[in-house]
Amino acid sequence: MESNPRGIPKSPFVDDVEAYLKTDTVQATLNKFTEAVSKYKYMENSKLQQRLSLEGKIPDIEKTLSMVGFLIEKRGSDEPVKTLFEVNDTLFAHATLPPTETVNLWLGANVMLEYTLDEARELLASKLEIAKNNLKDTVEDLEFLRDQITTMEVNTARVYNWDIKQRRLATATAVAAMPAPAAK
Amino acid sequence: MSGKFPLIQREDERDVEVNWEDQQRINQFSKLNVRLERLEDSYKTQKTEKEYLDDLAMEIELLDDEEPVPYRIGDTFVMLPLEEAQERVEKDKDTIDARVEDLDSQISAIAEEMEVLKKALYGKFGRAINLEKD
Repeated sequence: MESNPRGIPKSPFVDDVEAYLKTDTVQATLNKFTEAVSKYKYMENSKLQQRLSLEGKIPDIEKTLSMVGFLIEKRGSDEPVKTLFEVNDTLFAHATLPPTETVNLWLGANVMLEYTLDEARELLASKLEIAKNNLKDTVEDLEFLRDQITTMEVNTARVYNWDIKQRRLATATAVAAMPAPAAK
Repeated sequence: MSGKFPLIQREDERDVEVNWEDQQRINQFSKLNVRLERLEDSYKTQKTEKEYLDDLAMEIELLDDEEPVPYRIGDTFVMLPLEEAQERVEKDKDTIDARVEDLDSQISAIAEEMEVLKKALYGKFGRAINLEKD
């Protein structure tokens, strides 16, 4: 079965409804389609979560990166930088930063590591790049899923409409076959 | 069944087969619709941000240039001389102007493509298809 780069399977397109229904009943086919749509929707949901978390992560990295960039700018001067740093949401304290060559980056899992400014910038820039690429892939997946869902919905509508038409035709034939009512 | 594809009315019924090309058009349309919504959202936030920055650029002119300005970088406010703060505001403004412009051109490109798709799809399916927003 065809799939996208992240292994999400492609939904089948029904070219000719009548030929497609040769192997299965209408109801079984519709059930199959509904199931496929709900699987796709499930995947869509998890991808949406992923997108949300990446969209939160990227500004975070950007913020840190801009601070490192600022420290790099100030590296040459021997004048300390006065700052107000956040202690808590609504509480800021004064701090004076002497010119510095290194920063500590929080890597997660209770680990903090000291980097030179240039190394820190490099590391953050590569993290940002990775996060952005991940976001791009996730958005691509979401669009791919949207395509598959739409295809399945159209398939469903067409099989359904085809079925109604067959029933109508059957009724019409049956009516035509009935003996004509006697004239009054 | 999805609201996008309501059951067709008897009088609107036409014997038009959906071929692969139509399906791709429908998919593309639906995809662009989602993309457009997201772009419009970020356009709105960026636009507000831009307005804030424009206001800020005006206000900052009025400040006393002896006093350092607390300028936010990341989560920290850094005391900057007024001049430096102004430079940074200008830089931020340029960045956001470029972003707003980029979003704007993306939005109109998508709207255009959707118009073309709409024409093609309505041309083939008439009232059997509904491509309007609720």
